[in-house]
Amino acid sequence: MVTIRHPRTALAATAALLPVLLALAAPLLAPADPDAGHLADRLLDPGAPGHPLGTDGQGRDLLSRLLWAARPSLTAGLLPVAVAALAGALIGITAALTGRATEQALLRTLDVLYAFPGVLLAIAVATLLTPGLGATVLALSVVLTPAVARVAFTETRRIRTAEYLEAATVSGATRTTLVLRQVLPVVAPVVLVYASSLVGLAIVYAAGLSFLGLGVPPPTPEWGAMLDELRPALFTHPWLAALPALVILAVSVAFNALGETLRGRLGEGTEAPR
Amino acid sequence: MTRFLLRRLLLAVPTLLGVSAVVFATVALVPGDPVTAFLGPGAPAEARQALAERIGLDRPLPVRYLDWLGHALTGDLGTSTSTQRPVAALLLPALGQTLTLTAAAFALVLLGGVLLGTLGALRPHGWTKRLSGAAATLAVSAPQYSVALLLTAVFAVHWRLLPAGGTHDAFGAGGAGDLLRHLVLPATAAALVPLGLTAKVHRAALSTVLGSELADGLRARGLGRAAVLRHCAHNASPALLTIGGLQLAYLLEGVVFVETLYAWPGLGRLLYDALTARDLPLVQGGVLLVATAFVGVNLLVDAAHAAIDPRVRS
Repeated sequence: MVTIRHPRTALAATAALLPVLLALAAPLLAPADPDAGHLADRLLDPGAPGHPLGTDGQGRDLLSRLLWAARPSLTAGLLPVAVAALAGALIGITAALTGRATEQALLRTLDVLYAFPGVLLAIAVATLLTPGLGATVLALSVVLTPAVARVAFTETRRIRTAEYLEAATVSGATRTTLVLRQVLPVVAPVVLVYASSLVGLAIVYAAGLSFLGLGVPPPTPEWGAMLDELRPALFTHPWLAALPALVILAVSVAFNALGETLRGRLGEGTEAPR
Repeated sequence: MTRFLLRRLLLAVPTLLGVSAVVFATVALVPGDPVTAFLGPGAPAEARQALAERIGLDRPLPVRYLDWLGHALTGDLGTSTSTQRPVAALLLPALGQTLTLTAAAFALVLLGGVLLGTLGALRPHGWTKRLSGAAATLAVSAPQYSVALLLTAVFAVHWRLLPAGGTHDAFGAGGAGDLLRHLVLPATAAALVPLGLTAKVHRAALSTVLGSELADGLRARGLGRAAVLRHCAHNASPALLTIGGLQLAYLLEGVVFVETLYAWPGLGRLLYDALTARDLPLVQGGVLLVATAFVGVNLLVDAAHAAIDPRVRS
C-alpha cells in the first residue's frame, strides 16, 4: 500500500494537474466542435439538452470551448514561467558571479523592468507584436524574468563565499564546472520552487491580455477571450458570463495552492512581490 | 535621513528614464508605417516625404526619443488619434477618478488585511489560522476580472442590490452616498488580491512578534491579551507598511480590468479604450503616467519605512 507522505501537497498537485489533463483530453471529452455555432441555439443556459454548460452568443457549445481553451490558456501560463526560470537563473547567477560592472548593469536593467507594473509591461510588450499566443508568451516572459533573476541572484550571492566553492576553485575547477556542479544544485531548487509559485499569476495575466484583445485572435477559444465574448450577455444570462470567470479563478487557486505548499516544504519565507 | 532620501531620489532617476524609454519604444517600434496608415499605399513620394518631415519621422530614433521626453516633461504628451484631443487633457480627469477608486480599495485592503492577518496570528495552531490562511490564498488567487464579473452577476444582476457600473445614477439625488454605492463592487474587485497578500504578510509578522520574548515579557508582567496584542501589533507595523505600499502600487495597475468592467471613467478604462482604438499616443501617455505613479509610490514607501525604522537608513 502506498502511503502519501504529504497529503496537502498531493491534493494541490492533483488539483493543478486536473486542468492540464482536461486540456490534453479535449478532443475526447468535448461534446461538440468548439468553433461551430448554431444561431438558433444562441445563449442557452447551462443544462440545455446537448449543451451541459450552455452556449455562447454565436450558439457554440460552451463546455467544448472551455475544454479546448485550456490548451492556449495553460500554455500561455506555463511556457513563460519556464522561459523566465531559465533566463532568470542565467541572469541572476551571471550577475552574482561576475565583476561589479556587469553586476551593476544587469541589476539596474532589472530595476527598470521591476519598476514597471506587471500588467502594463505586458500590455506594452504585447502591443509591439502581432496578437497571438507567441506575443502573450514573450510579453509574460519579460514580465516574470526580473523577479526570478532576483531570487537566483540573492541565492547565488548567499553561497558565493562558501568554503566548498573556494575548495572547488583551489582544486582547479573551471568557472563552468563551478556553476554546473556547485552553484546550480543549490540555486536550481530555489528558483524552481519560486517559479512554480508564479504559474497561477501567469495564467491570470495571460487571460487578462486576451481579455484586452492582445492574446489569441478569434475564433480560437481562450478563457480570457471568452470572458470578453460573453460580457454582453452579463445582464441577460449572468451565469453564462460568469462561467469562464469561475474557471480561471479555480485554476488560479489550484496552481497557487500548489506553489504555496511547495514553498512551505522548502522552508522559504519568500512571498511573491505581486 | 536627508541623505537617504536624496540617494533614493537619485536612484529613481535612471529607473524613470528606463521606464520612459520602454514606453517610447512601444510606440516607435510598433509594426506598420504611420505614413502609409495616414495617406494610404498609393500616395505620391513627395506627399509621403512631406508628412514624414512634418511629424518628425525622418529623424533618428534617439533624437525623436529626447524630443518626446522633453515634451513629456513639460506635460505635452501629444494628441490622441481617436479623439483628436490633447492626451494630457484626457489623462488628468481620469487620474482623479482612478485615485478615488484606488483610495476606496486601499481602505478595504488595510482593514480586511489587518483583520484577516490578526485572526490568523492569534492562535498558532487553531482552526482560525487555517481559515485565515485559506481565505488569504483564495483572495490572492482571485483575478480582478473574474471577481468583477462574479460580483456583478450576483449583486447587480441577480439580486439588484448595487449598481453594475458608472460613478453616479443618471437620475437621482447624487452626492456622496450615491458615489459610495457605486464604489462598493469595483473597490471590492480591485481589493481582493492585495488584501490577501497583506493578510499573509501581517499574519507572519504578527505571529513572529507574538512568539517572541517581548510578548512573553509583556504577559509575565500581567498585561491582558488585548494589551499584549496592541503592543505586538505596533512592533509588526513596519512589515505592514512595506506590503501596504506595494499593494497601493499594485492597485494602480489593477484598475485596467476593474474600470473597464464597471465603466469607471478612470485611467484603466481610458487605457482599454485606447488599446481597442489603437490610439498609440494615449496608450503611451497612460502607461507613462501609471508607471511614474508606481515609482513614486514605491519611493514614498521607502521614505516612510526609513522614518519609522532607523535600521533601513544605513
